[in-house]
Amino acid sequence: MLRLGRHTFADDATLMMAIVNRTPDSFYDRGATWAEEKALERVAQVVEQGAEIVDIGGIKAAPGAVIDVAEEKTRVVDFVARVRSAYPGVVISVDTWRAEVGRAVCEAGADLLNDAWGGHDPGLAEVAAEFDVALVCTHTGGATPRTRPHRVAYDDVVADAIAHTVGEAERAVGLGVARESLLIDPAHDFGKNTLHSLELTRRLDEMTATGWPVLVSLSNKDFVGESLDLPVGERLTGTLAATAVAAWHGARIFRVHEVVETRQVVDMVATIRGDLAPARLVRGLA
Amino acid sequence: MRLSASVASVVVVPAAPLLLPEHAGRADVVPGLRAAVRRALEGLHDVAVLAEPAWGEPVAAHLLRDIGLLEAPLGEAGALLVAGDGSARRGEKAPGHLDERAAPYDAVVEEALREGDAVTLASLDLDLGAELLAAGAPVLRALGDAVLASGRAVQTADLAYADDPFGVRYWVARWDLA
Repeated sequence: MLRLGRHTFADDATLMMAIVNRTPDSFYDRGATWAEEKALERVAQVVEQGAEIVDIGGIKAAPGAVIDVAEEKTRVVDFVARVRSAYPGVVISVDTWRAEVGRAVCEAGADLLNDAWGGHDPGLAEVAAEFDVALVCTHTGGATPRTRPHRVAYDDVVADAIAHTVGEAERAVGLGVARESLLIDPAHDFGKNTLHSLELTRRLDEMTATGWPVLVSLSNKDFVGESLDLPVGERLTGTLAATAVAAWHGARIFRVHEVVETRQVVDMVATIRGDLAPARLVRGLA
Repeated sequence: MRLSASVASVVVVPAAPLLLPEHAGRADVVPGLRAAVRRALEGLHDVAVLAEPAWGEPVAAHLLRDIGLLEAPLGEAGALLVAGDGSARRGEKAPGHLDERAAPYDAVVEEALREGDAVTLASLDLDLGAELLAAGAPVLRALGDAVLASGRAVQTADLAYADDPFGVRYWVARWDLA
């Protein structure tokens, strides 16, 4: 069983985590959901499309204007409360690396803390334990939040990602986070060049073999763009190909911009794997 | 085949593989058919099966198991379950594409099932049935033969379901014998 705050899911369930940015400057939507009402419309849309999780973020990942704790809280805390009351059936994740923000959003009703910067603030796991919410343990190679990789090197990026994320998950268990509420994420492009992200995709089965549920965040990222030499806005096909490989290797949660397309790919792969029966069967069997 | 005096009812169902759980998708594509089958089998016990071995027998066995009934040898049976259906050439999207002879052929069988007409079933043209991919023709003819040979009359006949959702004619019929 996977337990994300108030919500539980079967061990073989795959989940769509839809990105909802409360930012004026995120790379893909460029502020399309910066206004609170626009962000709420985005939530309505992805819930209608079947997303099980919304991942609300108040700070873009790339370098830019400094967003302090107070500003981050202004962007996300009340919004979490609004989503909680309007959509009690959806899992609310918040993308933050700060324990102080984590605490505020948990009080507002968050179910999951998506620590996209790899445990930079060790207090975040303590907040997850205190509020009995779920936690994503990511690998950034020790990168400082909101920095780009520059000449990063690993002996073995997959081994490093596994060692770090599993170590963080075990540390979280030690702090009191429920074992069934922990996810690990290799964090494509975070502290990694494109070859690192490709290798993590190719060898994702090693990560799923740890037994911890694996979250992947592939959507429209630079490793897709560089692989195909395509700009943001033309990366959906490449994203879906990477999604298919990750799903084949057993990834469970998919952090996405495009819910409908990703759900189709993930269900198709699960059907090919034999984990999911076809939706309907008639051909040759009537 | 000899129909023993203990057989009081005959139920005809399709032999469609999609009725088997191992061929089921996430959505039931024939809920109405399944419900009709369950109703037709209600109250029966010690049911013998008349079906071709490839698909008819496993389908019949599953439909009985599904409602907690066990298969019985014909000599001791209280009822007979016949797994057989009509032509698979009823339209351009049908498994066997369209054959104009399919509809009239099926109409004759359908009327016989509705009326409890064993004579018509016993005279089914098996060559035409094979051409029309009517997999049920041999067993339906054997049913007609068996009822005639037993000298029993069909007291009531009920055609509970007749449709071709996928280009194959499916029937659920029940005859109670005198």
